[in-house]
Amino acid sequence: MSDPNTPTPNAPTPIARSPIAPINPRVENGWEVSDARSTAALTIADETPLAKVAVRAPFAGAIAGLLGVGFGRAARGPASLQADGLPEALVVGSGPGEWLVLAAPGTSPAVRQRLEALIAGTGEFASVVDLTHGRALMRLRGEDSPAMLAKVCAIDLSDDVVGNGAAFRSSVARLVTDIVRDDCFDARSAGAARGDGVRSYLLHCERSSGQYLFDALLDAGAEFGIEVTGSVRAAG
Amino acid sequence: MTQEQIALAGTGAMRLGRQEGEVIDRRRTITFRWNGKQQLAHPGDTIASALAAAGERVFSRSFKYHRPRGILTADHLDPGCQLQVGDEPNVRAAHRLVEADMDVRSQNTWPSLRFDVKAANGLVGRFLSAGFYYKTFIKPERLWPVYEKVLRQFVHAGSISPDTAHDYYDKRYAHPDVLVAGGGPAGMSAALAAARAGATVLLVDEQGALGGRLRWGGPAELHELHRLTAEIAAEPGIEVLTDSVVGGRFDDNWVAVVQRNLPNVVERLVKVRAKSFVVAPGLIERPYVFEGNDLPGVMLSTAARRLINLYAVKPGERAVVLTANPEGDGAVADLQRAGVDVAAVVDARHGTTVTRARGRSGVQSVELSDGRRIDADLLVTAVGWTAPTSLLNMSGDKPVYDPRSARFRPDPARLPDTVLATGRIVGDGSFSEIAAHGAAIGREAARRAAGIRARWQTQVPTRTPGEPVAEVPAKPVEIPDLTPAAHPELFRGHTHGFVDFSEDVSSKDLFTAVAEGYDSVELVKRYTTVTMGPGQGKLETVNAVAVVAEATGRTIAETGTTTWRPMYAPVTLGALAGRIFEPVRHSPMQAWHERQGAVPLVAGQWIRPEHYGDPAAEVRTVRNAVGIIDVTPIGKLDLRGPDVPELLNLLYVNKWNNLGVGRVRYGVMCAEDGVVLDDGVTGRLGEQHYLMSTTSSGAGTVWEWVENWLQTEHPDWQVHVTPVTTAYASINVAGPRSRELVGRLAEGVDLSPEAFGYMNVRTGTVAGVPDCVLWRIGFTGELSYEIHVPAAFGLHVWEALMSAGADLGVAPFGIEAQRILRLEKGHFIVGQDTDGLTQAYTAGLGSLVKLDKQDFIGKPELTWQAERGGYPLLVGLQPIDGRIVPAEASQIIAGGRIVGRITSSRMSPTLGRSICLGQVEAGLAKPGAVVTVRLIDGRNIPAAVTPQLAHVDPEGERQRV
Repeated sequence: MSDPNTPTPNAPTPIARSPIAPINPRVENGWEVSDARSTAALTIADETPLAKVAVRAPFAGAIAGLLGVGFGRAARGPASLQADGLPEALVVGSGPGEWLVLAAPGTSPAVRQRLEALIAGTGEFASVVDLTHGRALMRLRGEDSPAMLAKVCAIDLSDDVVGNGAAFRSSVARLVTDIVRDDCFDARSAGAARGDGVRSYLLHCERSSGQYLFDALLDAGAEFGIEVTGSVRAAG
Repeated sequence: MTQEQIALAGTGAMRLGRQEGEVIDRRRTITFRWNGKQQLAHPGDTIASALAAAGERVFSRSFKYHRPRGILTADHLDPGCQLQVGDEPNVRAAHRLVEADMDVRSQNTWPSLRFDVKAANGLVGRFLSAGFYYKTFIKPERLWPVYEKVLRQFVHAGSISPDTAHDYYDKRYAHPDVLVAGGGPAGMSAALAAARAGATVLLVDEQGALGGRLRWGGPAELHELHRLTAEIAAEPGIEVLTDSVVGGRFDDNWVAVVQRNLPNVVERLVKVRAKSFVVAPGLIERPYVFEGNDLPGVMLSTAARRLINLYAVKPGERAVVLTANPEGDGAVADLQRAGVDVAAVVDARHGTTVTRARGRSGVQSVELSDGRRIDADLLVTAVGWTAPTSLLNMSGDKPVYDPRSARFRPDPARLPDTVLATGRIVGDGSFSEIAAHGAAIGREAARRAAGIRARWQTQVPTRTPGEPVAEVPAKPVEIPDLTPAAHPELFRGHTHGFVDFSEDVSSKDLFTAVAEGYDSVELVKRYTTVTMGPGQGKLETVNAVAVVAEATGRTIAETGTTTWRPMYAPVTLGALAGRIFEPVRHSPMQAWHERQGAVPLVAGQWIRPEHYGDPAAEVRTVRNAVGIIDVTPIGKLDLRGPDVPELLNLLYVNKWNNLGVGRVRYGVMCAEDGVVLDDGVTGRLGEQHYLMSTTSSGAGTVWEWVENWLQTEHPDWQVHVTPVTTAYASINVAGPRSRELVGRLAEGVDLSPEAFGYMNVRTGTVAGVPDCVLWRIGFTGELSYEIHVPAAFGLHVWEALMSAGADLGVAPFGIEAQRILRLEKGHFIVGQDTDGLTQAYTAGLGSLVKLDKQDFIGKPELTWQAERGGYPLLVGLQPIDGRIVPAEASQIIAGGRIVGRITSSRMSPTLGRSICLGQVEAGLAKPGAVVTVRLIDGRNIPAAVTPQLAHVDPEGERQRV
């Protein structure tokens, strides 16, 4: 599934929409996104427009090596994915023999093609499926995010178990959700210079329950003063 | 009352001057209402301490006899201090802090707390003895509802309005290395030592602040309290939860903590998974059993000391103190310092005791065992301690009675490695001995937790690569001895008194129960309800055991205790419920449906449009023009790999080897027992790429089913299954003008019947959106295209269809219209027209089942079904009177037997008559046969079996054009 380029004469330009209702919507990269901006200590942002491409391959074969991370971990793009000017991607080891590659909005066709090219050279049985439209994706950011998540998720979020770069699937507010700890090291992160980012988690679920999960997180975060903001950062 | 007037008035006649450890804020005074009357308090006062400061002695009436009750323990356990606060019943008023403008009332007293007419129960007390309910309200059975109403009037509880607002209750999870239950000197020392050993610690205490008994001690205790409190505050590894209680310990150190009085959260259940659990609850002071022991003015030594030292309240004017331990001696000193006239100190260590307390609404005099009678308004008792071993019992311990210290003690040998105990529950000692024991236990708890953590660090897939694993000391920490001090065994004096103040059970009741044959403590508990009140036996159990032992002539050790079970303390239903998490699912077009006023249908987690106002009109639109329906919930599985045909052959009852690219086939899945599991179409999009559709309700089940067969039976097959149900918005465009409508928006797809015939699939661009999947299939019986649109563009394509088809009369139709359309066409719905016993042949799928395939799931059972014959069959039915629509599930009867049932029924807008599907016995499944349908109102009507399932267009010409 790619983002459309040419509208038909009989219809207006297609606009892609997230399952999460935006605040002050505007269109960016063909997606309707929220124009809200918050500087609150704890924020939630809808990152659904990011490209999301799933890879299935042997648990510990050549493709696993090329992707650079195994089950339970996530890492920013291996060199093998960087060809052809692709932006950096976040590769998530989302299950045994299962990966999800997150990249900037609108890049899913290129990511998919790059992955298919990589796979073709290995001779392993593997498949690549574009799930950009099949998942809702959101980012929590703030030092209180683990305390807030502890209200809806039973997993031990301490550094010992879920350090930066950890990825796991669990129940969040009784919904099957993939969680990636992906701390932010941007300019707003006070400790970025010394290597301490701001706690941040990516959460993704079936698209149809995206608004439910978003609302449940807002409810859990109310006591921490959570606010909605626009896209915090792209995957790259 | 102005602030100035309030300040001048003071907060009560019994308020003392400043006490060193007081927790009240004298700079501020607040007002609240007590039974409608304005009262004063300082912030930091409990409701009970504020009332006691004002000279109130009676707070409630007892459960059964409506006897006046006052302060006994001056903490959360106080049985006489359960009050109504606003809409909230059963508030523990000796624990709950008073707040400005609180409306506090006594519970279930009439006409007033002071003159309660139900106190007349006391006059007939001998008829309300042990087992009263069992003896009295058995016969006649028909009067049970009346008994219930009458007894409800006497229930000792508050009231709650059904209109009470839903407050915010929630839950959270916590994973500390060490959980410490009890924030007294031992618990605080354990927490500090554990944190300093590198552990994360959760320290929980039931009181509003840490410190335990240090809080109401003298200068030395207060000094230690301040030191420990400051050190804990400075230790980042310790999270402190006060006003919280550890309610239960379950397997694998799953520990329930109930946290109260948070900002914006009424009560929170903290679900703790602790690697080590330290139990440090201290001791609970035990009441003494004697005549009049429930009179207001009779209180425990710890209660008197709390009132004086924490709240600066004088507990009485003239006191008798019965003491058998140093804490009782300490109470004497506190009372004297507070200006109470201590008329007598009765030292039970020397054999003297209290015989009875006399008075009407409070103590007026005390009779001693040496014959003296002393006028007093206060009787303080210090006769021993109960070790609250509940959490240890829940961990597998079985405490043993130690007559030397007159209390049950834990048996560490029976505890799991992950549970440790410290403090006075283990033994007595000086502060430094207690603290040293706590610290050693804390270090050991941290060591054991570190071992578990190290194991996890090497095992969890989420671990950070290269992260060093901490060294765990192999040698256990040496734990110093902590021996219980000797204490006289004092449970009951020479007279009978109350054992259970919450349930109004006396020692005499226990003797009666034993005399009636209930000689086991467990039976006595259930017969008399002793220990079954809100305190759950914390004050009562040991006395009850001692009295039963006395009545049976056995020792306390032989008698044993009742069982302590979770929860340790009362918990609100709100905390157990927490937030209500009920995931819902919406299609990308949901907002559009809502804007159009669609009536919602809850289908599992999905919210779908049932109809947009007139389902019959929606049916006519589809039959005559074109309609569009949102079918996004239809299950979709992306199948890839060379062995997909093998998989399909295994899953479906029909054959899949020769499905060409671009072709679609209908299939039915059965379980191993041949019962229909699901159905749907699967299309071949590429050489090794298929897209399977399932029923909406079966999407999750089928995915698990497919993965189960692949992973357990055929891991050798090269197939990858990816659920893509919500990756696509699915729109069915149905009706004779559907080709015209889709043609206006589709690009790159030749829609002509020759190029894109029935049961074919194509990919292309629709309304500018590429990568759409177009299926020529249909559930409605009309020419139709099912378009799977990349979901984010679902609303765009939906709106484009509505816009482009305006001149064609396009209209949306909902689930109800679809149900009618498919029933007219005779398509069955799995789970509605089939059930958990419906095998494939019964569902009319005989022509689809290919028994000549090498294998498929359910083949042996279906082979047997085919061989034996005589099975029921799904048939089309039409009532002879076409105006009557039999309700679904109406029985079909013959000869006094049930021979079938209606599975689906509707009024057909197309035919203008009622139509049905139903399952009937084999002998009746003949075209033209007339069966008898029993309606809900009892009438029987005739209905004819139709030649085929389809009522409209049985030849299928409309959908193949």
